[in-house]
Amino acid sequence: MLYRPHVNRFASRREFLARAGGGFGALALSYLLSQESAKASPGAVLPTQVAKAKSVIWLFMEGGPSHIDLFDPKPVLQKLAGKPMPRSFGHVLTAMGTSDNTLMASKRTWQRYGKSGIWVSNWYPNIAQHVDKLCVIRSCWADGLNHVGSICQMNTGSILAGRPSMGAWTTYGLGSANDNLPAFVVLTDAGEVTGGAKNWGAGFLPAQYQGSLFRHDGSPITDLKPPASVGPRQQRAKLDLLDQMNHSFDRANVASDSELDARLDSYELAYRMQSAAPEAVDLSQEDAATRELYGMNDKATEKIGTNCLLARRLVERGVRFVELYCGSGVGWDAHTDIEGNHTRNCRASDKPIAGLLTDLQQRGLLDETLVVWGGEFGRTPFNEKGNGRDHNPWGFTMWMAGGGSRAGSVVGSTDDIGLRAVERPCHVHDIHATILALMGIDHLALTYLHNGRRERPTVNGGEVVTEAMA
Amino acid sequence: MSRSRSGLVISTGLLAIACCIMWGQLAFGAPTAEAQAGPSATPRVDFERDIQPIFRSSCYQCHGPDRQKAKLRLDSRPLAMQGGKDGKIILPGDADQSELIRRLTETDENMRMPQDREALPAEQIALIRAWIEQGATWPDRLANVNAKLSKHWSFMPVGHPTPPAVSDKSWVRNPIDQFVLAKLESGGLTPAPPASREALIRRVYLDVIGIQPTPAQIDAFLNDSSPNAYEKVVDELLASPHYGERWARHWLDLARYAESEGFKSDETRPYAWRYRDYVIKSLSNDKPYDRFIKEQIAGDELWPTDQDARIATGFIRHYPDESNARNLLQRRQEILNDITDTVGAVLTGLTVECARCHNHKYDDISQADYYKLQAFFANIRAEDAMPLVSKQQLAEYNAKLAIWKEKTKDIREAMAKLEDPPRKAIIKEYVDKYPPEIRAVLASAPERRSPMDWQMYWKASLYLSPDSPQYLAPSSTCAARLKGDAKTKWEELNKQLKQYADLKPTDPPRGMGIIDGSATAPPTFLLRRGVYDSFGPEVQPGFLSAIDDRAPKIEPPAGLNSTGRRTALANWLASPDNPLTARVMVNRIWQHHFGEGIVRTPSDFGVQGDPPTHPKLLDWLASEFVRGGWSMKHIHRLILTSATYQQACVATPSDLRLDPEDRMLARYPRNRLEGEIIRDESLESAGLLNLKMGGPSVFPEIPAGVEGHGWKPSSDEAQRDRRSIYVFVRRNVRYPMFETFDMPDTVQTCARRYNTTTPAQALTLMNDRMTLQWAQSLAGRAIETNPANVESQIDAAYRLALCRHPSQSETKTIEQFLNHEQELIDQREKAGDPISLPPNLPAGFAPARAAAMVDFCHVLLNSNEFVYGS
Repeated sequence: MLYRPHVNRFASRREFLARAGGGFGALALSYLLSQESAKASPGAVLPTQVAKAKSVIWLFMEGGPSHIDLFDPKPVLQKLAGKPMPRSFGHVLTAMGTSDNTLMASKRTWQRYGKSGIWVSNWYPNIAQHVDKLCVIRSCWADGLNHVGSICQMNTGSILAGRPSMGAWTTYGLGSANDNLPAFVVLTDAGEVTGGAKNWGAGFLPAQYQGSLFRHDGSPITDLKPPASVGPRQQRAKLDLLDQMNHSFDRANVASDSELDARLDSYELAYRMQSAAPEAVDLSQEDAATRELYGMNDKATEKIGTNCLLARRLVERGVRFVELYCGSGVGWDAHTDIEGNHTRNCRASDKPIAGLLTDLQQRGLLDETLVVWGGEFGRTPFNEKGNGRDHNPWGFTMWMAGGGSRAGSVVGSTDDIGLRAVERPCHVHDIHATILALMGIDHLALTYLHNGRRERPTVNGGEVVTEAMA
Repeated sequence: MSRSRSGLVISTGLLAIACCIMWGQLAFGAPTAEAQAGPSATPRVDFERDIQPIFRSSCYQCHGPDRQKAKLRLDSRPLAMQGGKDGKIILPGDADQSELIRRLTETDENMRMPQDREALPAEQIALIRAWIEQGATWPDRLANVNAKLSKHWSFMPVGHPTPPAVSDKSWVRNPIDQFVLAKLESGGLTPAPPASREALIRRVYLDVIGIQPTPAQIDAFLNDSSPNAYEKVVDELLASPHYGERWARHWLDLARYAESEGFKSDETRPYAWRYRDYVIKSLSNDKPYDRFIKEQIAGDELWPTDQDARIATGFIRHYPDESNARNLLQRRQEILNDITDTVGAVLTGLTVECARCHNHKYDDISQADYYKLQAFFANIRAEDAMPLVSKQQLAEYNAKLAIWKEKTKDIREAMAKLEDPPRKAIIKEYVDKYPPEIRAVLASAPERRSPMDWQMYWKASLYLSPDSPQYLAPSSTCAARLKGDAKTKWEELNKQLKQYADLKPTDPPRGMGIIDGSATAPPTFLLRRGVYDSFGPEVQPGFLSAIDDRAPKIEPPAGLNSTGRRTALANWLASPDNPLTARVMVNRIWQHHFGEGIVRTPSDFGVQGDPPTHPKLLDWLASEFVRGGWSMKHIHRLILTSATYQQACVATPSDLRLDPEDRMLARYPRNRLEGEIIRDESLESAGLLNLKMGGPSVFPEIPAGVEGHGWKPSSDEAQRDRRSIYVFVRRNVRYPMFETFDMPDTVQTCARRYNTTTPAQALTLMNDRMTLQWAQSLAGRAIETNPANVESQIDAAYRLALCRHPSQSETKTIEQFLNHEQELIDQREKAGDPISLPPNLPAGFAPARAAAMVDFCHVLLNSNEFVYGS
């Protein structure tokens, strides 16, 4: 959680300078300054790249949706179906050892939509209506074979746990636009996200940049509400006493301690959060038409619809980064029966996501909100167990909408069967660099000194996909 | 981010830091700008920090110690200044005319340097240009790389400095104070007055054993008028078994200790806790540090019959692991990287991992050095359930087990037959996921396996061997897949088997560590760009060449099937001549006493690390450490009994202005306690702390809403109130309170925790049901002291939580609070709302009053004074 980033004492002036120099973006830096400098105006901001996006909503299709059945039609695959993969496509080592299996046709019907004429399959009829808002990147690729590594990489850049997630880097760079809410929120719709909290962890960044997983039942944040046996006036009186005790302790000690000030503040912020967070997640304030728009009146779409609506309310209130898992717990992992699996998952996510795009646009939020859709990888053109598809990190589709991305465009392509990215390949690091660029952050300049190395979000790669930017 | 040169001056009445925040063109821009103020100043280029790293990574290969193309050598000042076969290349003050700059910026690729490589980045060329313009200053210390003088300070032998003379001799209690005071005096600072005795005893208790003194212990100290009253307390605390519990946590952070595998499945490591107990015991017994680290690197080779030494190798085994990994070659490499990086950081205090993909950009560590260091570990294998008994005891156990096996042979065979189909299916399912080359290794005859084949085999056998805690197909798992008749039969047989349970010997205690797979290690290669299958030249085990370029003497230990490689490394690390080992460790000890080390980057003693604030003190302590037989308690005692340590946390405005960060130690720095210690002292104040030591880890309750996730509170409630060091460490679900208070993520070594202040911490301490429960118990204890007298109750609560009496005005404030709160709670009580009461409320005591007392105690446990150790 990030409100006023407060890392108590840098190890050294060198560390302070190095970190301040390379890392802290506008808000974070101004907060740091205000902590260090007797409350200088938080208006003292550094120039950054011109940013369109203020917030990100990342729609994470966990488990790996099949790009060749959704956004990347492959006529050649239809022809070769039933045959082994021609050697010319090259051998791959897959998670389940399926690369010698025969190629499997897509059962979808395809259509071009909008002015842009972008292809979408009949699994996503509602999202299809929004293609002119989308930038479809068909040439994504990643390093991992397994879910845990690949989900970790899509979030942190590395298949090994321990690095900060994109949400953490973003809040580290930009701070929060709302002190009373966490800056980085994670929403799930089903099981636990594979790999758990490491995916929204702060890694080697200070803990306050980690994401907060909102819970569905009761209050969204752990320990948000006072115990049932403590009334609101009682709680206020306790905080007042605490304030008084802390002030007298601080007076008796070294005067200039920003750390103690921060601790005083943290209680007031926590207190305000007690009302701000429940308000943010209170969907009863939304009208019937809005609920319908997100598909909240239908059992099949209710869960993701609720999360999409929550995401809009959060970015409206200044939350910087919302990561919204669809099918959390590798729901899209169709090793068998891809028909059944994807029909269900597409049905559950199509209307809510379309509703979100409509709603963001009608509220004028789409320009400043970057929506990202994608899984940790795509799926193979060859079959698994006859009616499923295996993991495919060599080529898959993601799309962006709003936030300064190039509307109605397609970037890159995969080979004739959708196995590998061939034209304009975009590695996960490139996707990350692009998202940061849209947020006004240079991925090479956002660094954090860790174990003697200036770490950056894109590890040691990353190139901005300028074709994806408006 | 802006690429323009913009300056930003941050200043306060007390603190003035001037810096060029965004001197973005320079890769090493920010630190370079340190010395300069304002936007117009040209940053001063520092040869060691800015230029030598570029030479090292881009030039030495052809113009260094091994090769001198064009007769040019850039690693020595006289030779570099002399130039190459065509004359001088550096003209100080005139970059444009310097051949070096011409060749770096040459447009003809055949002429441009570095040859056959991409041009240097513009910012590096700009740095070299600025350096030449500024006179090409090259410090004497670095003039000749072959001379000892050229070495970085931490690579130089540890000196034996004489404590300096000081003016105010009366302040000095031991030599530490001479070093500190000399610096203060020369800087015009005066030490703070001594801390009050109440503050001092709380500080030293929390610092040394992590538990607050009881009122009786405080009184005993305050009433002891002997001149060595404090020294006696220090000795008692260092002798306390709780000292090991407190300080083990610091070492476990370094060792990335956890009790689960991490990654997706995060399987439990059932015997990992024995390493935690090993560390506690070793510290409490003041095991000499050289022995302590030798055991952890090579205990299995050096003392194979000493169970503690075998458990110690868990230090290497604590790497996170992925049972689901398909590419075992890659996975093995990732594990070796983890071990190399951890050993480098913890024991040598160097960021060796920077040399995994290329020569270290700052420190004198080559990529070959990295893989040479890694080669010491090339033949290790995990041993996750080693029996911790003597050979004879093991033989006895096996003999008894054989009897049981014989008697139950028919039953077990019948069961195995039923289990066979599911077992085969589980194993096949798993093995089939491996690529063909791994499957071939698993199927091959043992005598045909190469050492590397064996490495693959052992990695897979963690999941395929019935003896492994992670075996995929134990009886119970197979039985769970049975249906119908087979299931009934199996259950019947299992019942029969249980009748022989008393014949089955108790399983011996087991531990987790590593051993070498055999006496022959697979070859180690330098990996190009650090890629696991991009093999460069083969390397042999070797030390960091800048410190010691002799080849290690490696002999397989007699009677063991082991390479002896790690023994050679352990002996080198634990040698008194190693310039880093003692320095790094005394700095860690110092850091945990003062919040910051003498070197504030405790695992980076390299060029990029922070230079020591008191270099001579560091060397004096390091030599004292070795001289005292590597006794950690000796160093603790020196620090704790110094006047420096016993100062109050106050400062004059002048001292604050001169040294806002307290780098010169004119006061004792105040530090927030770790989450673990806040929990321990809360439990203790509440009278709930269970001081039982050692054994398997426990699971306290966790906040509502985060249950599950493999966390089930211990069924025995008393176990839940054990000290925090005994709380289970699950990689994917750290205990929420600890995580909120900056416990490291246990995925990699952590030498210095963050110290953050967040609303989540406030929510935990204010709203969590556990903290409320502690407040309830504390209130109960306070009321118990004298139910009729509110002042005594307030006094008792202060003494139990803050180790001091309240002032009169504090007592008055609290009384007013209690009265106000009582009224509010009265209303709630009348409305039928729940209220929080202490346990065992004395008869006749007004419930609303008691609940008000709970609120007051809750505030105490949240107060700054409580969560700060001093």
